[in-house]
Amino acid sequence: MHKRPDIPALVAGLVVLALGGVLMLDGVDAIDLTLEAFAPIACAGVGAILLANGLSRDR
Amino acid sequence: MASRPGGGSLEGMNETPKKLTRSRADRVVGGVCGGMGRYFNVDPLFFRIGAVALAFVGGAGLLLYLAALVLVPSEDQPAGAPGVGEPGAQRNRALVIIAIVVGLAVAFPFLLGGGLLLAGIGIPLAILVGAGVLVWWLVSGEGPSGDAGDIARRAALGVGVLIVCCFIALIGAFAAAAGPGWLVAAFVLLAGVAIVGAAFVQPLRWLVLPAVTLALSGGFVAAVGIDVHGGIGNRDYRPASSVDLRDHYELGIGQLVLDLRDTDLPKGDVPVKLDIGVGDAELIVPNDVCVATDAEVGMGNVRFFGHDHGGVDVDYEDLSDAAPTTTRLLLKANVGIGQLRVYDSRGEFYDDFDPLDESHPKQAACSA
Repeated sequence: MHKRPDIPALVAGLVVLALGGVLMLDGVDAIDLTLEAFAPIACAGVGAILLANGLSRDR
Repeated sequence: MASRPGGGSLEGMNETPKKLTRSRADRVVGGVCGGMGRYFNVDPLFFRIGAVALAFVGGAGLLLYLAALVLVPSEDQPAGAPGVGEPGAQRNRALVIIAIVVGLAVAFPFLLGGGLLLAGIGIPLAILVGAGVLVWWLVSGEGPSGDAGDIARRAALGVGVLIVCCFIALIGAFAAAAGPGWLVAAFVLLAGVAIVGAAFVQPLRWLVLPAVTLALSGGFVAAVGIDVHGGIGNRDYRPASSVDLRDHYELGIGQLVLDLRDTDLPKGDVPVKLDIGVGDAELIVPNDVCVATDAEVGMGNVRFFGHDHGGVDVDYEDLSDAAPTTTRLLLKANVGIGQLRVYDSRGEFYDDFDPLDESHPKQAACSA
């Protein structure tokens, strides 16, 4: 039987991947990352992790 | 009819005394105000407003709340827990009294306008305990309920997690500032792949917090533009002539001063680049030199001949022209966190500059 993924861990992993992707693009000078752009991305990512965690606990 | 706190009558004097517990149903943080409201038969909102108000008076509200959180049992505490009148409860009451005395001792110096010594120890300690409980709550889902031992354990674990995260953040920040730009990104991506892959097999939830901490610290450093390749310390440059003047000055952390007041500068455009990771960069020019500036500051301010521009992601540009017979310094500056100051020999004059004063002379050497 196919095992269901752990949703909070999956969301957290995707957020970490997204943050890593942004950092890598800045690291190879593909984009010029500024604080005004990074702050909302970081807040949204952390918010998504907390939301996924909280919703999974309510079940 | 005579009554006692809680609304009971004299007929009820033989009943077991009402017990102060933290409410489980009516709680915002730990149920302290909800429990007190129920005990005194008053709307808990009054206690909440009082706690918040006291938190702004030397932090006494915060300290008292934490003391109550630790010492007042939750209503869901097991039946075997010590009740009022038992040795455990008497000890708790004594500790509450001590906490109140300590809280007032912390608050009074503020109320009297001095004596920061007690507040300097008590409030940070209270904030640390509160932060520990909050962090552990977020990490594990175990809220501030249960007995004092449980809460103390959670606070300690939370503080431990905070310390580990600070350590990881420092490593990430230093690696992002000193290493190649892709280094931290590669570690974060690796962690992300591991977390996503493991979510389908055996979740690696413990890896999430270190990975996010690393990503945030590295991202902050990259976004602000901190680069520590130039070293750490104070640098003071006073070139004698244009031959000694380099086109690029760099410093990682510290203060960089480039004083050109005694430098024999040629007529026409002279490019200079200043790079500083964290700290202050100062450029002092002769009165007869025009400065055209293109400056980027991640977090901090640019003070250009008295004109102040501060904030986050400050991008300051003043590309003034000058007559061909005049020296024009083409300044390109990058500051991660800190300040860039540009002024001439009248430095003190610019410090007292009023931006609204129209009579203030602009750079006299630059053409209109």
